[in-house]
Amino acid sequence: MDFTLSPEQVLLRDSVARFAASHPANGTRPDYWKTFAELGWLGVGAPEDVGGFGGPTETLLLMEQCGRGLVASPYVSQVVFAGSVLREAGRTDLLKQLVEGKRRFAVAYEEPHARYDPSRVDTQAQESAGGWTLHGTKIRVLDPSTADTYIVSARSRDEGVALFLVPATSANLERSAYPSEDGHDVAELRFDGVRLDRDALLVRAGDGLEVLEAGIDAATAALCAEALGLCTVMLETTVEYLKMRQQFGVPLSSFQALQHRMAEMYIELELMRSMAYFAAKTLEDETDPFARKRGISAAKAQIAKSGRFIGQQAIQLHGAIGMSEEYKIGHYFKRMSFVERLLGDRDYHLRRFVELTYSAPREAVAAAW
Amino acid sequence: MNLTFSPEERAFRAEVREFIATRLPDDIRRKMQAGDHLEKDDYYRWQRVLFERGWIAPNWPKQYGGTGWDPIRRHIFSEELSYGWAPRLLPFGLSMVAPVIINFGNDEQRARFLPRILSAEDFWCQGYSEPGSGSDLASLSTKAERKGDNYVINGTKTWITAAQWADWIFVLARTSPVEKKRQEGISFILVDMRTPGVTVREITTIDGGHEINEVHLENVEVPVTNRVGEEGGGWTYAKFLLEHERTGTAGIAACRQMLTQLTELRDREDIEDRRFDERIAEVDIELTALAFTELRVLAAESAGTRPGPESSILKLKGTEIQQALTELALDAGGPYADVALARHYFNLRKATIYAGSNEIQKNIIAKQILKV
Repeated sequence: MDFTLSPEQVLLRDSVARFAASHPANGTRPDYWKTFAELGWLGVGAPEDVGGFGGPTETLLLMEQCGRGLVASPYVSQVVFAGSVLREAGRTDLLKQLVEGKRRFAVAYEEPHARYDPSRVDTQAQESAGGWTLHGTKIRVLDPSTADTYIVSARSRDEGVALFLVPATSANLERSAYPSEDGHDVAELRFDGVRLDRDALLVRAGDGLEVLEAGIDAATAALCAEALGLCTVMLETTVEYLKMRQQFGVPLSSFQALQHRMAEMYIELELMRSMAYFAAKTLEDETDPFARKRGISAAKAQIAKSGRFIGQQAIQLHGAIGMSEEYKIGHYFKRMSFVERLLGDRDYHLRRFVELTYSAPREAVAAAW
Repeated sequence: MNLTFSPEERAFRAEVREFIATRLPDDIRRKMQAGDHLEKDDYYRWQRVLFERGWIAPNWPKQYGGTGWDPIRRHIFSEELSYGWAPRLLPFGLSMVAPVIINFGNDEQRARFLPRILSAEDFWCQGYSEPGSGSDLASLSTKAERKGDNYVINGTKTWITAAQWADWIFVLARTSPVEKKRQEGISFILVDMRTPGVTVREITTIDGGHEINEVHLENVEVPVTNRVGEEGGGWTYAKFLLEHERTGTAGIAACRQMLTQLTELRDREDIEDRRFDERIAEVDIELTALAFTELRVLAAESAGTRPGPESSILKLKGTEIQQALTELALDAGGPYADVALARHYFNLRKATIYAGSNEIQKNIIAKQILKV
């Protein structure tokens, strides 16, 4: 049991921290892709033979620092999520292009009324001579505008969920892009008879869901790390502000009611930190998808709860200045609010955890822990 | 970073598990599973078993009869005690007064007291709180006046767990009046419970149990050689002790046991209620987060850092979770909740009060970590 980082990990963390500190924490999001590729960050978690290095711990270190600097880049969606899907699908050729920054993939899996559940897929893929035809709608696709290819889940006949590679410029594909509440690039995609070649099939019907869920879990762990960074800054900023802000002739931080609130924020932050590391460890250790899903859902449920508390209290303790768009705390709060509900909110993950724990056969639960 | 137990650590866990399974007396295990109160003899018999095996003092240095285990092995041992339904080791002698004697006492005191704590010949209790001094411990008014080679102690100590069984009590008493700081002038004194002038009055708690007592000290004469460390230096030793006390109060493995019993109760009572399951899940998840936090603290300790204010989180969250579990068990019982479930729920209200109330823990976090 050893939580010390290797020299390489410290180097990665520090270089991301330096980069994040130079990024303006005001909600703007320039596209840093070229820089990320040059620094090798697009290869985190990918195998060495395609230019990759590290794994879930390295992703955690990188994302925590991105959270601290409010670098809300497409990293989670296009590197962690898409990268994990491509790796699970065994497509090292595409992964290599991703790592080099030559291709960019966005995963489209959420559907109207599916409430975060990746198994609820109505999009249809009809097999036809020489290829496939897609019909359906995907909502809240992350970072679609900078992607050249979409990874799309669809049902093929009655054989279950398959994954397809869909060029962003395909005919009969309508993209309605809009900014999310924190300004993130998202879109609804409508597939109205999109024609695909035979080799557009990334994962065959029946195997798509497991691959997709592995990607969702990896991306969820990365979001947990980002949330940790966001909340660390929210607490630090709140403590500094309350020490400085004078009312009734004394610093606000001298009031016990406010001290206890900050102590509660600190406790929640430490639980978040533990769960962000727990999520990374779960990805590293668990080869059994059952245990992996259970661990990741536990982490996200905790982080969504603690993150919401810390964000709300950060605004509250700042008082009116916390409501100002010009001040930084609101941008962290909005990002946390978005991250909290990405890839499954607290209720969704709590339910998934319950299903995997109390409804599952006892032996499976015992084996998982 | 390596967040797994080594093969040696896993082998050690198996060895401890096997030992507890074969050597813990069955009647004690049954009492523990049923949540019944234990008698002094139950603790005595179990501590003797561990003493004979050389495992009675996990956190003492080897030279004094400790195990010499690192923090990870101590953690594994303590987890296995819970998983095997073994009684906790009464902390007052083994993990409260002994570390103080080892760190701040003299050789004579070490030779006199440590072996009898190890062998369970002496049971100890903690004389900190007073009727007028709870969270504000430094306001204590018990006095120890010097008279030749003796101290004459007068005062009342209260909320003292296991005083009815104890042979010795360690007392914080004022050896000089308050001048500048209230924390100065307090000494750490060891008192034989059989000394004339010591009386124990039983306090019944809201669960109907008898765990705690009031101890009156009336003209109790104690040799000056029973003082540990410097005269007037007691506050430092008291704080040292409290930090150690907090690390041990999270009770994470015990919570896992309670959680298992809770889900069994849920199944027995046929509760098919999503809301109830989600309430259990929330506690389950927080427990996972806290267990991982404990591993982080342990890893820091292994790397040579003394338990610091971070141990406040373990005490604070751990006791909240213990209470949440007794609350869920009571609710799971519903109209059939038996008296034992209610008693446990009533009893555990103490957890957020003792060892520095959770409000005090928040003060510590604010002052020592957030530096406000």
